[in-house]
Amino acid sequence: MAIASERTAAFPTAQGFGLGRRLRKLAATGRRNKLGTVGVLLVAFVVGIAALAPILQRYDDNRPFQTINPEFNPTANPIDIATNPNLGSPAILNRFEAPSGEHWLGTDQFGRDIYARIIVGAKLAVIIGVGASLIAVISGTLVGLMSGYFGGKTDLIIQRFVDGIQAFPGIVLLLLLVSIMDQPNVPLTVAALGFLGFAVSVRIIRSAALAIRHSTYVEAARSYGATDTRIMLKHVLPNAMASVLIVFSISIGAYILAEASLSFLGLGPADKTTWGKMVNAGRNSVDLHPWEALFAGSAITLAVLGFNLAGDAIRDELDPRLRGR
Amino acid sequence: MTNYIIRRLILNFFVLWIVASIVFVTTHLLPSDYVEKQVATNLELADNSAAIKEAQHVLGLDKPLWRQYTTFMTDLVTGDFGTSYESRQSTWHELRLRLPTTLELGILIVFVSFSVSIPVGIISAVRQDTWVDYVLRAVSILAIAVPVFFSAVVLTLIDLKLGLFKIDIIGAPHLWTEPINALKLYSIPAIAGGLSGGAGIMRLLRSQMLEVMRQDYIRTARAKGLRDYRVWIRHALKNAMLPVLTVMGLTLAGIVGGQIILEQMFNIDGVGRYVFHRLIVRDFPPFQGTVLVIAFVVVTMNLVVDITYAWLDPRIRYT
Repeated sequence: MAIASERTAAFPTAQGFGLGRRLRKLAATGRRNKLGTVGVLLVAFVVGIAALAPILQRYDDNRPFQTINPEFNPTANPIDIATNPNLGSPAILNRFEAPSGEHWLGTDQFGRDIYARIIVGAKLAVIIGVGASLIAVISGTLVGLMSGYFGGKTDLIIQRFVDGIQAFPGIVLLLLLVSIMDQPNVPLTVAALGFLGFAVSVRIIRSAALAIRHSTYVEAARSYGATDTRIMLKHVLPNAMASVLIVFSISIGAYILAEASLSFLGLGPADKTTWGKMVNAGRNSVDLHPWEALFAGSAITLAVLGFNLAGDAIRDELDPRLRGR
Repeated sequence: MTNYIIRRLILNFFVLWIVASIVFVTTHLLPSDYVEKQVATNLELADNSAAIKEAQHVLGLDKPLWRQYTTFMTDLVTGDFGTSYESRQSTWHELRLRLPTTLELGILIVFVSFSVSIPVGIISAVRQDTWVDYVLRAVSILAIAVPVFFSAVVLTLIDLKLGLFKIDIIGAPHLWTEPINALKLYSIPAIAGGLSGGAGIMRLLRSQMLEVMRQDYIRTARAKGLRDYRVWIRHALKNAMLPVLTVMGLTLAGIVGGQIILEQMFNIDGVGRYVFHRLIVRDFPPFQGTVLVIAFVVVTMNLVVDITYAWLDPRIRYT
C-alpha cells in the first residue's frame, strides 16, 4: 500500500495541480453533482457528530434519569405497596418523556436521554461502517489482485470460494459469524461485515486486475525481469486504484445498514448503544411513545443516505462509465 | 451451450460443497452447542455434567469433528438434510411446513417491488431530468437508505395512528384460509420489503433505459413513425430489461431464504424466522440444511438467469 500512496494522492488529477486550482475544480464538481455534494455534507455531518460525541452528547447515554418520588413512604408495609405501587420506591424513572429543553429528543423506557444515545450511536455506526469497509477493501484488494493477475487455477479456486460466500443469504452468514462469540463485540461485528464485503471487493478488484494484466506496461515490466510481487504492487495496483477507492467508499452505507439489522435482531455489539437496538426497543410501544424508534430510524436513514450518495459521487468521478448506475 | 451448462452444473456442486463446509466449520466454531444452550436456559440442569455428556452422546455431538464432517457430507449426498435436535423431525419436514408462508410473503414482496419499480423506472428514464424524474429518483434513493425494519415501524405507526386496521400477529392467517386477515398482516411487511427491494431494481432499470434510448435502433424506430409508447415498451424496455433480469432472478431466489427481519417482526412463521431461531438455539442440522437449500436455489437461479440471458439476447454466446 505504501508504494501506491504517492500516486493515489494525486490520482483524480494526475498532473498535480496547485491547491487553488484543485479547490476550484472540486467546487465545480460539487456544482455539477448536487446529490454528491449533499452526500458529502451529510457524511461530514455524521462523522463530525461521531468525532465530537463526548462534547455533544450532554448526558451519559446509559444514565437513567429519575425524579424523587413525592409519595415515597419508607415505612409502608407490603400490603400498602401492593395497593399503591407508588409508595415503594424513592425515585421514579422519567420514562418515555416527549422532547423538551432538558431532553432534546425525549427519553426512552429506562429514562435514558435519546439525544445522547443517538449521538453515541453515530460514533459506533461510523466506526463499524468505515472499519468493515477497510477490512473488505484491504483483504479484497490483496486476494483480488492475485486472483486477477495469476488467473488459471488460483483464480478458479478463489472465485468459487467467493461464489460460496455469495450463495449465502447475507444476513444469515452475518448472524452465523457474529454468533462465534456469546456476546458479540465491535471488532467481531466489523470483521463479520468485512468478511461479507470481501466477496464483493474481490470480484471488482479482480476484474480490474484482469484488464490490466494484459496491458503493454505489464508486459514491459515482465520483460525486464520484474517479479510478480513487484508488478502487482507497482504496476497493477496503482492502475486499479480507482476501483479500490470505489470499493471502499461505495459500501460503507450498506455496512451501517447491515449492522443496524444485526442490532435490531439482538445480535449487534453487546453493551453498546446502537441505533438498531433503539429502533427495536422503541417499536414495541411506537403508537404511544414514537420518539425513540422515529429518531433512531431517521438517524440510520440519514447516515446511510449520506454514505451512499457520497460513495456514488466518488464512483461517478473516478469511473464515468458507471455514472447513474 | 450444453457443454457450458454441464460445466456450470459441476461448478455449482463445487460451490455448494464450499457453502456446506463454511457452514459446518462456522457452526462448530460457535462457543456452545445445543445441549449447553439448553442447560444454560434450563437452570435445574446446571450442575448435571453427566446428563450433558449423555445428551451430547445421543445427538452425536461428542464424536470427533472429522467424523461429524464426513457423516454430514455423506448424508447430504444421499439427500438427508439432517434432523432437528428439538423437534426430532427432518429438515425437509420442517421446511415443508414453513415454505408456503414464506412464499406467500415473498410473492407479495416481489409483486410490490416489481409493480412499483418497473413503471417507475421507465417513467423516470423517459422523463429524464424533469421534476417527475427528480421526485422518483429521490424516493428511490431514500428507499435504499431506509432500513426495512424502520419503514415497517413507520408504516405500523401510520396504520395505528390513523386506525386503519388491526394486525393479527398471533393467529397466523393465510391468504387461502383467512384472506382478509392475511392481507392485513402481510400488507405492511410486503410494502416495506417491496420498497427496499424495488428501489434497486428501479435505479438499474432507469440507467439501462437511458443507455438503450441512445442507441441507433431507437432512432430508427422513431423514424419509422412509431408512437413513443411503442418505442419505449417494445424497443427500449425489451433491451433494457436484460441486466435487470439478473437482479430480478436473485430477488426471486431470495424469496426462499425468507425475510428474517420482517418475519421476526411480524411473528410470521416462515423459513427466515425458522433459520434464525435454529441458530439462536444452536439446533444445527436444520440450520445447515436450510442454508444449503437456500444456497442451492441461489446458485441454480444464477445459472437459470445466465441461460435466459443467452436465450433472450442472441449476441451472447457461451462456450
